[in-house]
Amino acid sequence: MKCEDIKERMPDFLTGDLDNKAKSEFDAHIARCSACGEELRQLSEIWTKLGVLPMEQPSPALRNRFYTMLEAYKEGFEAEKAAAVPKKKLSFSFGRIWPRRPAFQFAAALVFVVLGITAGYLLRNPQAQLSRLHQEVDSMRQIMAVSLLQQPSSSDRIQGASFSSQVKAPTAKTLDALLQTLDHDPNVNVRLAAVDALYLFSSYPAVKDRIVQSLTKQESPLVQVALIDLLVGIREQRAVEAFKALIQNEKLNPDVKEKAKLGIQQLSF
Amino acid sequence: MTDNLLMEDVRGGKVEKLAILFERHHVTLFNYFLRLTGNRPISEDLVQEVFTRILKYRTTYRGEDRFAVWMYKIARNAHIDFLRRQKETVPLEDQFDEAQSADLIPEERVERQQEAALISRALKRLSPRKQEVILLSRFQNLKYREIAELMECPVGTVKGMVHRAVQELGDIYKQLSREACRHEM
Repeated sequence: MKCEDIKERMPDFLTGDLDNKAKSEFDAHIARCSACGEELRQLSEIWTKLGVLPMEQPSPALRNRFYTMLEAYKEGFEAEKAAAVPKKKLSFSFGRIWPRRPAFQFAAALVFVVLGITAGYLLRNPQAQLSRLHQEVDSMRQIMAVSLLQQPSSSDRIQGASFSSQVKAPTAKTLDALLQTLDHDPNVNVRLAAVDALYLFSSYPAVKDRIVQSLTKQESPLVQVALIDLLVGIREQRAVEAFKALIQNEKLNPDVKEKAKLGIQQLSF
Repeated sequence: MTDNLLMEDVRGGKVEKLAILFERHHVTLFNYFLRLTGNRPISEDLVQEVFTRILKYRTTYRGEDRFAVWMYKIARNAHIDFLRRQKETVPLEDQFDEAQSADLIPEERVERQQEAALISRALKRLSPRKQEVILLSRFQNLKYREIAELMECPVGTVKGMVHRAVQELGDIYKQLSREACRHEM
């Protein structure tokens, strides 16, 4: 192999795209040609150095903007589709059913006018269609939220919690992901974000039960206080027993103890 | 589910599937633009622009190539349009703020961060086309033949361009390192 051939293959070497045969020929040439060896060393050095460029994260605003755009597009797209489909069907069938005699044409026109007025009344409300679209976007949001809650980066998990708070009708899977985060996430800020999100879904009976149980599992005073506030806020009577159990803990932070005592009083009114 | 299948669904009208493609690609796309423009808000605008164009042109998608190749074709066009608009409004000398970014690097920063800033500055001194081939092959995991496909040129041209671009980047990097050393003294 000539030096020219080797130079042509250097970009493939950098990306690791040389097959075994080409690689052994390449290596053999580099071993005996100092000029090519030096050139490859310099290229590899800068190629490796490019790896120091960090992977930056965009702001949360980007994700919000994207979903707003997608939702708007989907609404427009579905409305367009709904408008286009009947038109096509009508134009196809009209030629076949339209009568040829003027008297029948007049009668048919009258029937269609009456039908049109009736249909207008019946289909006046486009809410059903819109609500279906909202449901689909809501379901995509939930998939994203659950996926983010399982990411290794804590900022992603916080994003996931705040994302799930935008969900209107959470599925059992979404609620479970949030509750698991509350119970097991190693990061306090993520657990606090989960508390905030769960506040919105506290009307679900399963959520209430799990939040009460979670209180005894928490060790961070910040999370304990947030949960006490939540349970008092939703006036969950079963929390009183949990507060009492918490107060029995000798190692409990004094501020949390005070908060729990106050909570018992507030819930007993 | 692969990117191509998801995009085929989007093309077929299940536009909500674009959310999955967004989640898979928006961070790498953001970094691609960030390294080209050096500006976070502009890079976010460009990412948004790419996904808007994907929706707009979804029916033109053909599943023959990898979705990423098609997406970066759109990304390139969005960036070219951005440069065109910028040239119309911003004087050329104001488009390169290397001296300012150098001032932003405090001396106490760790060596790795200094190196990253230096390599980033060196990258910005390359022509846009050379920057693109380096970023696409080094960070976006595109094969040379895929870059050739999206740049609409022979694969040999892309490889030659990568070779020259990396060489030039090395020269600029060395020059900037020497300048930085003199500045420290």
